[in-house]
Amino acid sequence: MNPSNPPQAAEYGGDEVSAIVLDPGYSTTRAGFAGEDAPKSLVPTYYGKYNADGQEKLIFGDDVFVTPRPALSVHNPVGKDGIVEDWDMAEKVWEYSFTSRLTGAKPGNPFQNGLNDISNDELPTEMEVESDEKPLADSPLLMTEPGWNPAKAREKTIEIAMEKWGTPAFYLARSGVLAAFASGKASALVVDIGASNISITPVHDGMILKRGVQHSPLGGDYISSQIRALFKSNSPQPITITPHYLISSKTAVEAGQAPQAKYKTFPAEKAPDASYRSLLEERTLSEFKECVVQVWPGPNKLSATGPTGVSNEETARTWPGRPFEFPDGYNQVFGVDRFRVVESLFDVKAAIPDPDSPFPAPTSSQTIPELIKGALSGVDVDIRPHLLANVVVTGASSLLYGFTDRLNHELMQLFPGPRVRISAPGNTAERRFGSWIGGSILASLGTFHQMWISKKEYEEHGPNIVEKRCK
Amino acid sequence: MAKARTSQRKSHRRASARKQRPPHSPEMPPFKDEHILLIAPGSETTLAQLGLPETFTPARCRFPTRMFPAEKTGEYEPYRIREKRQQVKVNNGTSAPEASKEDVEMKDATKPGQEGAANAESAEKPSGEGTEAEKANEESTQTVEEVYYEEDVASDEGAIYPMENGRIVDWPCFFALLTHIYNALSPPFHTPILLIAEPVWTARDREAITQFVFEKFKVPAFSLMDSALAVCYGYGTSTATVVDVGKGKVDVTAVTDFVVNEHGRGIALEGCGGDAMTDRLVELLGSKGFTREMCKQLKRSNITEILPPGTPLPGAAATARQGANPATAASTGSTDAGNESAPRGPGDGTQTGTEGGNGEEEGVLDVAAIVSGDTNEYLANIEKEKSTTKKGAVDPKQPRLPNSKKEKASFQFEEFVQLEEENAAASGSKRYIRQSREIEVSVERFLLTTPRQQTGDRLSNMILEDIATQIHHTILAVPDATKRSELWDSLIIVGNGSKVKGFVQALLGVITQKFILSPSATIFTSEIPSAFTTPLPTGGTNTPVSMGQPGPMYHPAAHGVNPLLVAATHNNPGMANMPPGTPSMDPNAVSHYRSTGHSQNPTSVKTLKPPEYFPDFKDQGNLNGPGASASGVAGSGPGGAATSTPGSHGMEEAVFLGAQMAAKVFFVVDQGLSKGYMSRVEYNESGPSAIHEYTV
Repeated sequence: MNPSNPPQAAEYGGDEVSAIVLDPGYSTTRAGFAGEDAPKSLVPTYYGKYNADGQEKLIFGDDVFVTPRPALSVHNPVGKDGIVEDWDMAEKVWEYSFTSRLTGAKPGNPFQNGLNDISNDELPTEMEVESDEKPLADSPLLMTEPGWNPAKAREKTIEIAMEKWGTPAFYLARSGVLAAFASGKASALVVDIGASNISITPVHDGMILKRGVQHSPLGGDYISSQIRALFKSNSPQPITITPHYLISSKTAVEAGQAPQAKYKTFPAEKAPDASYRSLLEERTLSEFKECVVQVWPGPNKLSATGPTGVSNEETARTWPGRPFEFPDGYNQVFGVDRFRVVESLFDVKAAIPDPDSPFPAPTSSQTIPELIKGALSGVDVDIRPHLLANVVVTGASSLLYGFTDRLNHELMQLFPGPRVRISAPGNTAERRFGSWIGGSILASLGTFHQMWISKKEYEEHGPNIVEKRCK
Repeated sequence: MAKARTSQRKSHRRASARKQRPPHSPEMPPFKDEHILLIAPGSETTLAQLGLPETFTPARCRFPTRMFPAEKTGEYEPYRIREKRQQVKVNNGTSAPEASKEDVEMKDATKPGQEGAANAESAEKPSGEGTEAEKANEESTQTVEEVYYEEDVASDEGAIYPMENGRIVDWPCFFALLTHIYNALSPPFHTPILLIAEPVWTARDREAITQFVFEKFKVPAFSLMDSALAVCYGYGTSTATVVDVGKGKVDVTAVTDFVVNEHGRGIALEGCGGDAMTDRLVELLGSKGFTREMCKQLKRSNITEILPPGTPLPGAAATARQGANPATAASTGSTDAGNESAPRGPGDGTQTGTEGGNGEEEGVLDVAAIVSGDTNEYLANIEKEKSTTKKGAVDPKQPRLPNSKKEKASFQFEEFVQLEEENAAASGSKRYIRQSREIEVSVERFLLTTPRQQTGDRLSNMILEDIATQIHHTILAVPDATKRSELWDSLIIVGNGSKVKGFVQALLGVITQKFILSPSATIFTSEIPSAFTTPLPTGGTNTPVSMGQPGPMYHPAAHGVNPLLVAATHNNPGMANMPPGTPSMDPNAVSHYRSTGHSQNPTSVKTLKPPEYFPDFKDQGNLNGPGASASGVAGSGPGGAATSTPGSHGMEEAVFLGAQMAAKVFFVVDQGLSKGYMSRVEYNESGPSAIHEYTV
């Protein structure tokens, strides 16, 4: 084509749309276009509720972290086990995740409210979207779900996608399977360390082996509760986390000295709820996890004795500590304690007891080695070595310093015979968004198109079709 | 199902197309510097320019981002068109009014051409157009009802603002504005467009704009550039935290290695922009007779300043003016000469007392004289007069104190007032005059970022604190932790909202107060083990450090600290005793350093220095003179129309400098090799959604 000629109207097809991949988790919800290498939209699954001028208002997205609102409380539509509890709000949060950055809210079709009066002949008619104003009217949607999602929840999900969002095609895929795809494997043992759950998903030839799926609540939030327990028993004084929004300024103090900060006060009727404070404390804790917390890399447990006869804890004690400063200016160097807060993921006896914690003391069957054992005993003997040779680590909490080393040691101890191979992507984004990326790959495969459940099929068979088609 | 199939086939096709797309189609003639159209839409003002000058300058054209509904629904006019019915008394037949009516219509018809040719003057011209029919005020015998249309350039009544806080809220109007700008600059046929995208635009928004640009303007190539990235181009940096303080919102973006970090980005943070500061001033001064417009100009004046946190306000016993009564200190007293109480309401007569006796024509601009005569000469004369009178009057009276120490100060308030009938009749034309008078303000001028009483639905409401918190949140969300301290050290604060004197320093002050870590938390002073051994090379030789990421040894946050200590703390002893034979572990060994091998931030915070090689982009510190404040008043008069005011806008509009740099690189230097733009061939092939592959 000679580029100096003007384009003919509607020269291109006009319906070039790519699928949207939506990966809802407990702490964050990821959404983006299929074929891209990272989700464009990453929003907290938490949402805020507050009162202004007598009206109840909701806030979604990162904004909740930045500006406190009067009497703000924070909620999560997803339950601790990763299964949606509040469907109305889940729908809103998920909808926000793709309307905010991807599709827009669609307050009406931009090409029909006036412009076409001027240039009716210049805009291709194909661009005129169908008259219904549902947010996903022109994008197929691929969603993820945990491996233990009950049938009811799955049906509810397709119902929302089809009826509320009006998507023309839908598919529901297991997040474990997608994480395996993201690592380029059709068969794998997926170890997913999330915020509220850790899960082990055996995947064989792209199919989930349901009997082998194991999960337990020892995820990132549990580690936070262990850190809180550590802070409580800290010497010389217990550490309280005061989030940034309660502090107007701080003064530098020496390590271990009491903080000197100017605090903000809010009138009682306007003060944000405890749930808000705890969410913001979680921000500080995740910074703490990034900068300080370390997994004892192995071999053996932290409480065991090393090859030279010195206990591992002693060895860890000799390593230099890591400093951390809290929002109120209090700072301290953390020594061997930084290993103890995560040790109970592997060794249940190492859990720091805390009677106030919302998490009951973990049982030995909840630790990662036991879960893996349980997962493998639930699958056919023949494929076990194959799975062990393809252990895929995903989930943001797996980014803890030293985690994969320890996992490797634990696996080699448990299964001395077969060759254990861990594949954990080095890129943090790939680790955090493993299942989203797998979904992005899957939805953009040419061979995937016969897998979609179309709107017509949904209308014919009802929501139950998801059980038949998305195995 | 059919739909699903289509879309699958499409995305598959795109995946393959991505690989084999030619960088530049051979038949396409190269783009020329002078034939590139740049448009940077903002909620208040849209910057535009045709062609890249030899040395980059601030935007040549500034359009208020608003349109007026035309008579026909769905169409828009750049100026307010008013239908006027008037009982016109006609003297000696009807010839005179009709002539003038024709005159107006003709001007309307030829308008686009005129603007294309000389858009700089076009704004001034229409002000002379509203001149008709007033002639007919003399005594008469007949009465005829005239219906005519008048372009009212000074009015923004009924205007539609298509963008709100960066969001496009009225698409037809937004497209009409783009069309108006395009027609006004009337680029030749082979002109690519570079459009600056607001961060808040969704993927679909970008596609809609792409489609519109290609199909309406038939451009050969189109580039949609994120505003934060454009700022980085303007500053010549690959990594920065860009804080864009706009009219109603603030965007905070972390850019690393020319990649915009979408996660955690502060998009259209509402209630933090320039309007929020004006609101605060209105709240403080509204009871004292200040209008919003006055507060707006006060905000832009050079006496308004945000003092760094903790600075005492010039107190009641202030040094500069003895006898100032603290009780009346807050009142808006008049000027030194002791006129009766200012400020006066708009339209309060044509004369204002400034500087005592020198009141006659000071500050009254005769627009008719400007239109008819030699504009520059006229303006220059006025300026000269002003400066001489000022120097004479002000200097001896007040000791030279920095503004922040003065309890009271005054600024020039300028407004456009339509001349009253009898005046107009005298000269035979309707005129606007620019009045200027001096208004004195007390310490309120330092309080524009203090928390408002009317907090709305936020709790903090100190805009600097909100911005600081957002910066902290944004930088903390950057996945590459090793980049974070560099991001803290490369803040770029742009946007016209940040032009208020002291804004940057005050923001840095708030950040320091709230977020900077104390040295004891960042230096590895304690717990140096006695059995300290030489750190092992981490991970052994088979640890590839991918993507050029520096290892922990080179951690930028660790400057000033013994590298041995850093190495020791970042050393992972587990790697040393790791049994061999697990080569698959290598990739995650890398990940350790990238994800967690870092220490806390920020240890320092700095702003990035603007480049010095563009003399036309001045540092924003110089821009607070009254001259700059007046020219930015879009919407208050003819000055707000498509006038160009080069020199008055500086690095706070670095986005436009970046746009020019990027345009030069994408369109001229690289000729498409950098995938900086989408060509029409590619558009025709893949449709508007392919723009995301080119969104730089």
